[in-house]
Amino acid sequence: MEVQLIKIEKRNDVSRSIYLLTPILAIFLTLFGGGIIFFALGFNPIEALKFFFITPISDLYGLSELLLKATPLCLIAIGLSFCFKSNNWNIGAEGQLIFGGIVGGGVALLFYNHDGFYVLPIIIVSGAVGGMVFAMIPAILKTFFNTNEILVSLMLVYVAKLLLDYLVVGPWSNPEGFNFPETRQFSASARMPILFDGLRIHAGIFITLVTVFLSWIILYKTYLGFQIKVSGLSLKTANYAGYKGKIMIIIVFMISGACAGIAGVGEITGPIGQLHRNISPDYGFTAIIVAFLGRLNPVGIIFASLIVALTYLGAETAQIFLQIPKYTGQVFQGMILFFLLASDYLLFFKIKFLGLKKNDI
Amino acid sequence: MNTKLKVSEISKIYPGCIANDKVSLEFESGKIYALLGENGAGKSTLVKILSGVVKPDEGKVFLNNKSIKLNSPLDAKKNNIGMVFQHFNLFETLSVFENLSIDSNKTNEDLRVLVNDILKKYNFKIDLDIPVLNLSAGQKQKVEIIRCLIRNPKVLIMDEPTSVLTEQETDDLFISLKQFSNEGILIIYITHKLKEVLSLCDEVAVMRKGKVVSVSNTIDEKIESLANKMVGESLNTIKKKINNFKDSEEILKISNLNFESDDPYETNLIDLNFSLKKGECLGIAGISGNGQSELFQILSGEIITEDTSIMFRNKEISKLNPRERRDYLMAFSPEDRISQAAVPELKIYENVALNNFKSSNFFEKGLVNEKKIKDHTQKILSNFSVNTDNVELKSQFLSGGNLQKLIIGRELITSPELLVCFNPTWGLDVGAINYIHENLININQQGKSSILISTDNDELLKLSDRVCVIYKGKLSKIMNAENVTPEKLGILMGGGSID
Repeated sequence: MEVQLIKIEKRNDVSRSIYLLTPILAIFLTLFGGGIIFFALGFNPIEALKFFFITPISDLYGLSELLLKATPLCLIAIGLSFCFKSNNWNIGAEGQLIFGGIVGGGVALLFYNHDGFYVLPIIIVSGAVGGMVFAMIPAILKTFFNTNEILVSLMLVYVAKLLLDYLVVGPWSNPEGFNFPETRQFSASARMPILFDGLRIHAGIFITLVTVFLSWIILYKTYLGFQIKVSGLSLKTANYAGYKGKIMIIIVFMISGACAGIAGVGEITGPIGQLHRNISPDYGFTAIIVAFLGRLNPVGIIFASLIVALTYLGAETAQIFLQIPKYTGQVFQGMILFFLLASDYLLFFKIKFLGLKKNDI
Repeated sequence: MNTKLKVSEISKIYPGCIANDKVSLEFESGKIYALLGENGAGKSTLVKILSGVVKPDEGKVFLNNKSIKLNSPLDAKKNNIGMVFQHFNLFETLSVFENLSIDSNKTNEDLRVLVNDILKKYNFKIDLDIPVLNLSAGQKQKVEIIRCLIRNPKVLIMDEPTSVLTEQETDDLFISLKQFSNEGILIIYITHKLKEVLSLCDEVAVMRKGKVVSVSNTIDEKIESLANKMVGESLNTIKKKINNFKDSEEILKISNLNFESDDPYETNLIDLNFSLKKGECLGIAGISGNGQSELFQILSGEIITEDTSIMFRNKEISKLNPRERRDYLMAFSPEDRISQAAVPELKIYENVALNNFKSSNFFEKGLVNEKKIKDHTQKILSNFSVNTDNVELKSQFLSGGNLQKLIIGRELITSPELLVCFNPTWGLDVGAINYIHENLININQQGKSSILISTDNDELLKLSDRVCVIYKGKLSKIMNAENVTPEKLGILMGGGSID
């Protein structure tokens, strides 16, 4: 009997094309895996995938919804890329988003009977500051007390969630709201301007695009970006070069927190228009997948955010048309990350086919 | 039964470095063998080959005259070769017994009986049911040893076992090792501590630069003779012209340097005081692990210590970080060129941008001035004959010699007033070594000072104006290099005293 011999070899250098191709490979594997799941559930896989990935964006409304969901994902992921590039594992963007939302929402409530062009900018800035301050907690604990930022940032998510719960049920609940767990509606000047009539896409997308551009400049053209890159590759070298590691940890967390905070404000002043319990469908966690799928590169993150946003939409259509739970969306997000990590194996190893050989056994 | 272990013509080549060059050695049970050598001499590679972690490019290992294949640590275990590594491989949160049972195929009851027998026989006092993290370093090591003993080893290899032990623990360890040896276990003891070789071992093989340079009975050896074999005897080296620095300006003064580390693998420094004049090269000799790395990091500003005073050109700089020190025209070339002085994944010009001297001005107003960095890099590549002119090349593709030229070039091209370098020619070929030595001599002739921390005595005596020795974190007195012989250095490096 003849067998094909396969040898797995370490690559000397990570080729750039493979670096960019593996995310695409991961997406195809996800589609394939998704097809198998649909098949196992008794659906025609092609049809089901069409419902999941094509139907949601086949009209203008769908496209607007796609951008609406991609806006916060992209913004948060951009912020996270600063942390991840410098080896700081901020897992708590969801908490920073919520806390930014709380602070921004609080300010919006203060202005609930005010009108003026200045209202929205104040809300956005306060949301950014809120997220920033919340992200500084794990950063400061890490720099001064050597705590693990993964645990602290993650656990703070629940603190933010419970705080929001408390506020919307208690002190901030709408006095005319029949005890529903929600605040007043924000005033019109506290809302993000809608871009097109009848669609929900709002001006927050411009904030995201500007952030993408700025972060590209910071990461690739500034001394700070260079320091972030070096610290991410080798802390020993960063120390030898004399970079102020502690301050840098705090800076990247601040950037990341501010982005998440603005994303939170974008949600509550955009499609939601008030504070309630569920201001985010886990955008802060999903953005981690977006950041890695986009290879921590600002442009890559734009594309990745669109793809991952599609899984949110697809899950909703699938729920309507196929009667499967919308949590399938999370299954797809999980698969993307799983396949991405798995295909990253190809970055560092290559598979060699050594040809056929007689099998003696 | 007698155990014979023989390695024959073992070679292992890593890119840019010959780790083992036709190493042949024979061992027989009943004796304790020392394998002595500097860091990087090749002893760790040899030991990794014997324990199956690394596969040799050439050569064979024979156990009792039978050739054995060691493709994995499992093969080593099957052939009853036991190994205790310098850094312990224990699960800190598991109990001692759980750690022992992980890689044992015995039932827990059998294992417990066996372990209790071992504890009793060798008089080890360890509670089997407490978590490993509550043990002292010496006890953790005993757990590692027990793990080997469970498998009835024929050969037991100990890699730098005393680096984290107290003196009492070291004494206990030696008693146990002698007992094992009497029971017929062949013991190979890897170290760079000379006194231990003399007090424990019967035979000693010295390795240097990948080769076995001598095999002898320890009875015939003294500390100095071993030290010289280890670091290389000075053979007709041409010393550079020694200048008289009496009237020169004092450029650096270190007083009251003390450093206490939390890390048991680091060495504490005790009351170091020295000064350096303009144009002078101060050599600091010593066997590695005696505090050189800590001293380098304190000089470079990677470690900031309390109370230490470092005066550089009459300014107190002890609290400045490395980047700020570069503003005062200090330059540093660390020992670890691959993972510290440069980042392999970065392009050459990015690695040059790492050390931003004030005069080079790579980052104006916080922005990267790519053109300036690339021009500057181009200049380094040609001035320091680095074997490429592609500044976009990733540094990982440079050979060790070229990478070191790039690093030295990066440090020297801005003509710093002081260069501190640590083993600048470690692992390089002769051509690159000569080139770097020339450059180091040149800077002194241009009136710039240097501190050369090195474990290579040839190099030290060739380049230094004054020399001292660091031993267990203390500096010897500083001597004029022309009065120093390799023998004197050898005595001081082994902890002895002269005069």
